[in-house]
Amino acid sequence: MTVNEVQEKIIEEFSAYEDGFKKYEHLVSLGKDLEPLKKEDRTDENLIFGCQSLVWLCAELKDQKIHITADTDALITKGILALLLSVVNNRPPGEILSCDFYFVERIGLSSNLSPARWNGLYSIIKRIKNLAEIL
Amino acid sequence: MLNFPDQISTSELFFNLDNPNIKIIDVRSVDAYNGWKERNEKRGGHIKGAKSLPVKWMKYIDWIEIVRSKKILPEHHLVIYGYDILQIEQAAGYFRKAGYPHLYIYNYFVEEWSADERLPIDRLQRYTQLISPRWLNELITKGTAPEYNNDKFVICHAHYRNKEDYMKGHIPGAIEIDTLLLEAPETWNRRSPEELKEALESLGITYDTTVILYGRFSFPDNHDPFPGSSAGQLAAMRCAFIMLYAGVKDVRVLNGGIHSWIDEGFEISTEVYKKKPVPDFGIRIPSHPEFAVDLPEAREILKAENKNLVCVRSWREYIGEVSGYNYIEKKGRIPGAVFADCGSDAYHMENYRNPDYTMREYNEIEENWKKAGIIPDKFNAFYCGTGWRGSEAFFIAWLMGWPFIALYDGGWFEWSNNNLPFETGVPK
Repeated sequence: MTVNEVQEKIIEEFSAYEDGFKKYEHLVSLGKDLEPLKKEDRTDENLIFGCQSLVWLCAELKDQKIHITADTDALITKGILALLLSVVNNRPPGEILSCDFYFVERIGLSSNLSPARWNGLYSIIKRIKNLAEIL
Repeated sequence: MLNFPDQISTSELFFNLDNPNIKIIDVRSVDAYNGWKERNEKRGGHIKGAKSLPVKWMKYIDWIEIVRSKKILPEHHLVIYGYDILQIEQAAGYFRKAGYPHLYIYNYFVEEWSADERLPIDRLQRYTQLISPRWLNELITKGTAPEYNNDKFVICHAHYRNKEDYMKGHIPGAIEIDTLLLEAPETWNRRSPEELKEALESLGITYDTTVILYGRFSFPDNHDPFPGSSAGQLAAMRCAFIMLYAGVKDVRVLNGGIHSWIDEGFEISTEVYKKKPVPDFGIRIPSHPEFAVDLPEAREILKAENKNLVCVRSWREYIGEVSGYNYIEKKGRIPGAVFADCGSDAYHMENYRNPDYTMREYNEIEENWKKAGIIPDKFNAFYCGTGWRGSEAFFIAWLMGWPFIALYDGGWFEWSNNNLPFETGVPK
């Protein structure tokens, strides 16, 4: 699937949840499937500043494709990370650099997430792009 | 309409005020909670002990996390009150959906609670200095507003070397103010009295002008070369502190910055408003020298039993993992400083703000400070790296009416540049 096909799939999946609570519950359940981050990767270098909760992102390049693992101490952020990684993982860095993450707005995260959490999401996307640039 | 059988009367609520199983939830705006009278109630403020959870936040999908962060749990009995039954029932509906079964409605706040002097109400002591967007809009459009007894005001859009932030859109009538006008980049301390006089006069500010400050929070990133350029509301707090120190009598900050203005749906302007300089500030600067302390006093404070040097930095700065700034090399803390965690890093104040950037419920801030020994009976001098976060904490303590407060302006930048002792690691 292309990046946009994955984004469309997420949008379709979330269209079933008009209610904020249901979206929240769905995000939390998605977070449970997040691939665990190795303990040794919970380093300062991998920590994202500016997030309300602690968020670590660790990236490596496998066969010219990016693989990111992540973890956080907040339930909803775990779900958001799961969504973001489903879009970016196993893709060449160039594809991630040109990705506009439009699904974030379409599933209502930009308008319905509290501004403090939105700030965290913004920081995570910025870091993902940054990792794609340096790898 | 939801059918809630459990309405609670004024006397029932009064007799349960100290019941630990009952949580009183105020769903009005944070400004009404702080003290502003938004429905002509006799007394402004909130029912003693109430938690602030405005209806506005219920649109956030992570609302339940905000609720939990306030230690409001499903086993608690919740008494929900607001200005009207629709507002209250909307909130009650959310709580019920979120799995809170023990709900009670209190719908007599305006008519009974606020009207009866015998019933306890709390408010932020200087709530008039933390204004709402509705108040500011009234002032702009009518030239007058409640709790305003003046005929001149200046609205300042604060930023740090980022005029673009102003050009992007600002509150109609606002002029832009760069923090560099009031603080010197060599030390990041407040400028000299002569420089401040000149700066304030150039902005059209005299000691008796009402000054309204605000900024824009736009995702400061510690990896950016100038993260402070994106921390506009912190810049506003910094300017508020310096103006209070200088002697401006009526300094007010827009609660939540430009975000609150936008959330209310008010107009944004891109017109550049010219500053209207005045010939004389009017009184000697500084009129409140006691609000600022420098290195010699900071060292004395550390020796005094009834004084605190309060570190408003992040945990990682406090234990010396990071310096917090790309222009400060040394990492660590001032030995003996009391820790008052700001949040995630040098450009964020999550522990002092609500999720919508408004000031956090002051009772929660006070509770956290109390745990660290930061109490109003003591003299508390707040500091951070270069004075911005310290200014916000100072301003909050000032809003609370704390009598013995100051800002240690030099902060970690000055301390570490003077090769003074410092500590790292988790304190024993």
